[in-house]
Formats: sequence, structure tokens, C-alpha cells
Amino acid sequence: MTMTTKTGSPYLYVTYIRTTPEQLWHALTDPAFIKQYWFGVTVTSEFRKGSPWKLELPDGKLGDSGEILESDPPRRLVIKWRNEWKPELTNEGYSRCEMELVPDGEAVKLTITHSIESGEGKFIAAVSGGWPKVLSNLKSLLETGKLALTEAY
Amino acid sequence: MTSTPYVYVTYIRTTQERLWEALTTTAFMRQYWFGMKFESGFTTGSPWRVETADGRLAASGEILESVPPTRLVIRWLDELKPEIKAEGYSRCVMELEPAGSAIKLTITHSMEVGGEKLIAAVSGGWPKVLSNLKSLIESGELAIK
Repeated sequence: MTMTTKTGSPYLYVTYIRTTPEQLWHALTDPAFIKQYWFGVTVTSEFRKGSPWKLELPDGKLGDSGEILESDPPRRLVIKWRNEWKPELTNEGYSRCEMELVPDGEAVKLTITHSIESGEGKFIAAVSGGWPKVLSNLKSLLETGKLALTEAY
Repeated sequence: MTSTPYVYVTYIRTTQERLWEALTTTAFMRQYWFGMKFESGFTTGSPWRVETADGRLAASGEILESVPPTRLVIRWLDELKPEIKAEGYSRCVMELEPAGSAIKLTITHSMEVGGEKLIAAVSGGWPKVLSNLKSLIESGELAIK
């Protein structure tokens, strides 16, 4: 059987947040904090190398699952990540999401690189819409204590 | 070969009118644009230019479309680095759309032919400028100086 796979460019998003690497690491790995800026999802993981990782939607349905591939607090987190609730995205297989935290003056540069080896680009298209919302909310919450978006709409 | 356009999306807790003002008021822009000095009427057909904090010409061009408070399109030539200037005029589209309690700001910076150097340069610059803009509007303070 011949399969045609088209590998798209990774999705890349950079944001500068007025915080410390330690606070940003906490914000990226603390389930109660994540739930606030990520529209009510529940993330479960120990966030250590080899830990299982899963994300449940607000209604309790499994949204995504995978494993922590690398964890180097407060600098680098790599997640093996597969969508579990949209069959056309699940079919594209596992993606790789890298989060890098680099201090820059009074801020931290956060770089998200989300890539996938197979599929037709549907997974990357989906995360391209989602990350700006989640990361805009994260930045607002850390800098002002309030969200930018209360609903994912 | 044409480079892929650079696209950046950010959601800012503000109104369309306030965000439009932040994108077109030169004294305010200077705060979040690291001291750069902008000059333009920001109406369709207006000339547009940018000087560095030390007074060198950084970019020049023209406002191609101005539809307050929803859409601004700039014809944009880098004047600072000869290798980027040699790639010619780029096009920068700014779109402001209501999104619940926030405004979705989308920046699309593209070039019709080539443009690898310009796109690489603006890919580094926009996240800094727009992170600062969001911080300044939402909290009154910058993220990076």
C-alpha cells in the first residue's frame, strides 16, 4: 500500500511574558492554573520525563493524550501529543510540542513549537487556531491576574 | 520563490477603537516599539515612515488601506539593512476583530516575490512588539524594554 504523506511546517508561536521562568513553569504545569487560562480543560501529568499526560475537555471527554518526552524545569518541556476527540486529527498520529522558556530582561520568552511527522496538516491547522488564544490568556493572567478571553468561542 | 507570509495572532483585552488608536498614535507606538518614531496620517494614500530612536530612517512606504477601526494595510520597505531593502516592498496587513471580551489582532506580513530576509527579520520583531503592545494596553507596563 502506498500512502501519500504531506508534512507541513511546524507551528511556531513566540510570546514575551513579564514574569520569571519559575512562575511561567508553574503556570505551564499546574493543573489548577492551566484550567483558568485554557478554557476549563483538565490536564493531568506529573510533568516528569516518561510521565503520562492527558487533557480532558470541560465536559470530561478525553481531548488529548500522550507522554512527557523531556522535562527540564524551568527551561524546557517536550510533550508527545495526540488528539483523541476528532477522528480526523487522531488519524494523523502523534505530534511533538516543545515549550522553551528563556529569560529576557524582566520578561521570559516562551516559544511553542508544535510539529507532526505525518498527516495532511489538519492537526497543525487546529493548533494554529488554538495556541494564540491559550497563550494570550496565559500572558494576561500572569501579567494582570485577569483573562483576555473568557470563552474559547 | 515566494516566502510563506508571516502571521501572528494575539488577543488583547481592549476595544477595537482603543486598539486602533494604539496602532496609529505615534507617541503611544513609540512606547511599545522600542523608541521607534513613526510618521503618517494613517489614512489611505498617506506616506508612512519610521525612524530609529537615534534618528536613522528605518522603513518607509505608504498606507494602502485604512478602515478604522478594523483594517490597516501598509506598503513597507525596510531602509535600515541594504540586504533586506534589496528584496523590495512588503505588505503588512493588520486586522482587528471583536472576539468576546477581547480583540483578535492578526498581523500578516508578506512579500510577493522572494522576501526570505525580510520575513526572517519580521518573524523576530513582531512577537516582541506585539507582546509589548498587549502588556501596555492591559497593564500599563511593557514586557520588554
